[in-house]
Amino acid sequence: MTDAQPLVVRDLSFQYTRRDTPAIQSLNFTLNPGEILLLAGSSGCGKTTLIRCINGLIPHAYSGTLQGVIEIFGKSIQEMCLAEISNEIGTVLQDPDRQIVGSFVLNEVAFGLENLGLPREEIFQRVNDVMDYLNIGFLKDRETFQLSGGEKQKVALAGVLAMRPRILLLDEPLASLDPASAREALSIFRKLADDGISIILVEHRVEDVLAIHPEQVLYLEDGKQVYYGDAPGLLECVDYSQIKLPATIVMERSRGTPMEPFTSSLQGKDGEALVEFEDVHFRYKEDLPEVLTGVNCTIHKGDIIAILGHNGAGKTTLVKHALGLLKPTSGTVRLQGADTRKSSIAQNAHTIGYVFQSPTQMLFAQTVRSELAFGPENLGHPKEQVAQDTEWAIKTVHLEEEMDMPPLALSFGQQKRVSIAAILAMRSRILMMDEPTAGQDYWNYMAFMDSILQMPGFDSILFITHDVDLAVVYANRILLVDKGKIIADGKPHEVLAEEERLNQARILPTSLLKLNLEKLPLTGRFMRAEALAQFA
Amino acid sequence: MVVTFGYKQRNSLVETFDPRARWIFSILSLFTIVNFWDIRFLLYFLLISVVQYSFTRLTWKETKRAWRFIFFLMFIMIFVNTIVTSAGTISDVTANPHVLFAIEKPIRFTMTIERLWFALTQVVRVLSITMLFIVVPFTMDPRQYGITFKGMGLGDKLAFTMDLAFRFVPTLARDFGTTMDAQKARGYELDNLKGNIFKKIARMAPIMIPVTMNSLLSGEDMVNAMDLRGFSTSGKRTWLYTLKYRKRDIALIAYSVVVLIISIILPRVFHIGGFWVPPFLIP
Amino acid sequence: MKKGSLWSFGTRAVVYAAIGAALYGVLSWVFNFLQLPASGNVALRPAVVIPLFFGITFGPIVGFITGFLGNIIGDLLSGYGFWIWWDLGNGLIGLVAGLCAGMMVDYKRGKDILIAEIFVVLACAVGMFVASVSEMWVSGLDFATAMATTFFPAFITNIINGLILTPLLMLAYAAVRSRSGR
Repeated sequence: MTDAQPLVVRDLSFQYTRRDTPAIQSLNFTLNPGEILLLAGSSGCGKTTLIRCINGLIPHAYSGTLQGVIEIFGKSIQEMCLAEISNEIGTVLQDPDRQIVGSFVLNEVAFGLENLGLPREEIFQRVNDVMDYLNIGFLKDRETFQLSGGEKQKVALAGVLAMRPRILLLDEPLASLDPASAREALSIFRKLADDGISIILVEHRVEDVLAIHPEQVLYLEDGKQVYYGDAPGLLECVDYSQIKLPATIVMERSRGTPMEPFTSSLQGKDGEALVEFEDVHFRYKEDLPEVLTGVNCTIHKGDIIAILGHNGAGKTTLVKHALGLLKPTSGTVRLQGADTRKSSIAQNAHTIGYVFQSPTQMLFAQTVRSELAFGPENLGHPKEQVAQDTEWAIKTVHLEEEMDMPPLALSFGQQKRVSIAAILAMRSRILMMDEPTAGQDYWNYMAFMDSILQMPGFDSILFITHDVDLAVVYANRILLVDKGKIIADGKPHEVLAEEERLNQARILPTSLLKLNLEKLPLTGRFMRAEALAQFA
Repeated sequence: MVVTFGYKQRNSLVETFDPRARWIFSILSLFTIVNFWDIRFLLYFLLISVVQYSFTRLTWKETKRAWRFIFFLMFIMIFVNTIVTSAGTISDVTANPHVLFAIEKPIRFTMTIERLWFALTQVVRVLSITMLFIVVPFTMDPRQYGITFKGMGLGDKLAFTMDLAFRFVPTLARDFGTTMDAQKARGYELDNLKGNIFKKIARMAPIMIPVTMNSLLSGEDMVNAMDLRGFSTSGKRTWLYTLKYRKRDIALIAYSVVVLIISIILPRVFHIGGFWVPPFLIP
Repeated sequence: MKKGSLWSFGTRAVVYAAIGAALYGVLSWVFNFLQLPASGNVALRPAVVIPLFFGITFGPIVGFITGFLGNIIGDLLSGYGFWIWWDLGNGLIGLVAGLCAGMMVDYKRGKDILIAEIFVVLACAVGMFVASVSEMWVSGLDFATAMATTFFPAFITNIINGLILTPLLMLAYAAVRSRSGR
């Protein structure tokens, strides 16, 4: 038993009862003690299905046809019940908010142990041990709701580790984290593996994961195993337009077919002032600390602004002020010269189109068409114009074929694009997007960012992002936000060149940023890796 | 949307009792009070409720919303019951009426001493019940609901449902706020709904649908996460916190049971506790 | 979708009952708080669709807890105290609506929506009747007063809100469900 490998998968295939095609086909791999296996691929490639097969949710919670063998420490999981499997395998799901069951951290970490019916003393002992191990003992009495994204992730991990699994499945654990928290989480994963736990890490942020040197990589496309081997081998074989690879590799590989640098239809040249922030302070309640601590800034016609900063820095709060969703506690926000305190949000929506982060929090209509018409109709646009604008908006996000589908039946990535189109159809002068790329595949978000930024009609575009590369490729102006203040404002190559300030805002330089800084004397501006190939 | 429960630690006498004992006391008291229509008994229960209330250290600011709500309801109910309709759940009220005054216009209406006294009795009765329960949200820790009801004999799963519900409250309040903002950004105005009532209700869809569907989707993940941490196993579950009865709790429960038994016996066997009008009022 | 018996109570039921209750509580509170305009005798009370819909979708137990516990939470948040007979009445709304859960096959089919709507009427009637009758017992109202001051206003409001919003949620859920692998 001790000699058996933690996990052996042979010829594994699975098809959901309600689907016509298999979700995964003939997968083969093994996991050794203390190893990290990176499982990569775009959405819908079968990553989640594979995870469900291993942790027993398939077939215990999802029905379908399962073929092949899965062995945990030499024992076939078909002979085990869900509880037995969860003693060996711990699973951390993508969104910690959707797996935390306790109102308080202590209860959350203890949950699994309570279910096992362990004596209370032992539960307290184990909970303390695991929290010390992860250095989160100080969170013990906090409310889970109040935690930051990074803290939530660690608490969720602690809840799983308290059950002392020997195999850990991590399903896109970085998705909701800012870069600094993501790096910290990754170093924890490495430490766990070095202490003997075998880890399967599902992640499409391949570049970030490579930093902790996963021993093996399994790459899936359409449910099939395309690559299985060590990490360097992956970089040679996958399509770099599908999966984001380190910039140097992309530059090398695209040397034969370099791309033209991206040019937007918008050119930032100190145009007319659209939104003005004048010494804006904001707090939610009198007894709470300030979220914005004196913001001064003007958004001009022609700006393509990326707002960077860590979680909780005040980025979203700042943008909500532009639309008037929040009103400053002191100071003034002016939208085209008018104080946002004096106008309604509906009036402001004529000028600013604001795309929220999560599409599921706004989609409601029976068809994509009526979803897209909702905004323009609220604004009182004439019928023919609404029809025209919805057509145009849906084409921009490449979803023409889904026009008569219910938006709620689409995949998450498609929903996100519908939510963007719903705002585009309002034909506002300024477009603001909160994390436009969250939950999207690399290829997809690059494609729609390209088309949105080349689209005529906007006076200015602004996006909030954790993805420094998105700012590098698309922005002509960057606002760096930290502790409710703008600590830097300028052209990308000015703002992002100062390492000290990036550290202050807890932003990590990416390989693309480093490469661009290196090539700046030749290029004079930032661009994507495929375009840098010209200067290689 | 920031949610705040009215509960906070007040270090009051009431909080030193075991929550189970307090629930048993409150619910048995409810069943006791409804057995009486005699204002003399009801005044005693009102006194008990006032005593409990005064031991909670509640401020007027915290409870004024609740009181306004209660007085509004009480006024409507008792006004209609006394003036508009016959006021006759209790046959004693209408059996031997003593007319106080009578009018013919605009409607024929007779006010009797019994009616008026009955209304007063009702006020005392409703007040003693509402006052008994008004303290609950402010003095019971929502995190203890699960273990409390587990300790009162509810199954593990039902008890845990309560805890989980309280865990979801702040998340859903936040999500509601987000959806509200997202739709406002699309020009939707909740305070400016147009059309008749049917159209107005249908215009709630842009809020109700995303909030509900989003919560259902997160439920799917939650079910998986809980099963993967052994929730569905049928074995015995440990609860991290335990509650312990102390002497005062036993005393409170014993009192509640005794009073309930008395309240059942008195009216039925000895015919005491029914509707009573002070003799000196009757000419 | 894995369907157990109408009355089973597994992890799914625990989670959806908890979500339903929290959602009903939060929505009751915010709509109290926002003071939506009423039209004549009918108040805008969209939250009532939650126990109805959770009952129809997840069965009578989930429906009951959604209504019962949700009403408690709503009153807790609003600071209204504790009204166990109204909690019970709201619980019954979810429970009675949940009796048709077993008949639901396809949430976007006309027949299923019609059945659900019939149960919406029954549920509101039973739930609000029980609460009103309890009010007679607690406050000593006569039948006519209880009907006039509590039953009819509550019943009419709940039923109109419920009838309009239930099908909308069912259609949306049909779309969501077509995505899930269960």
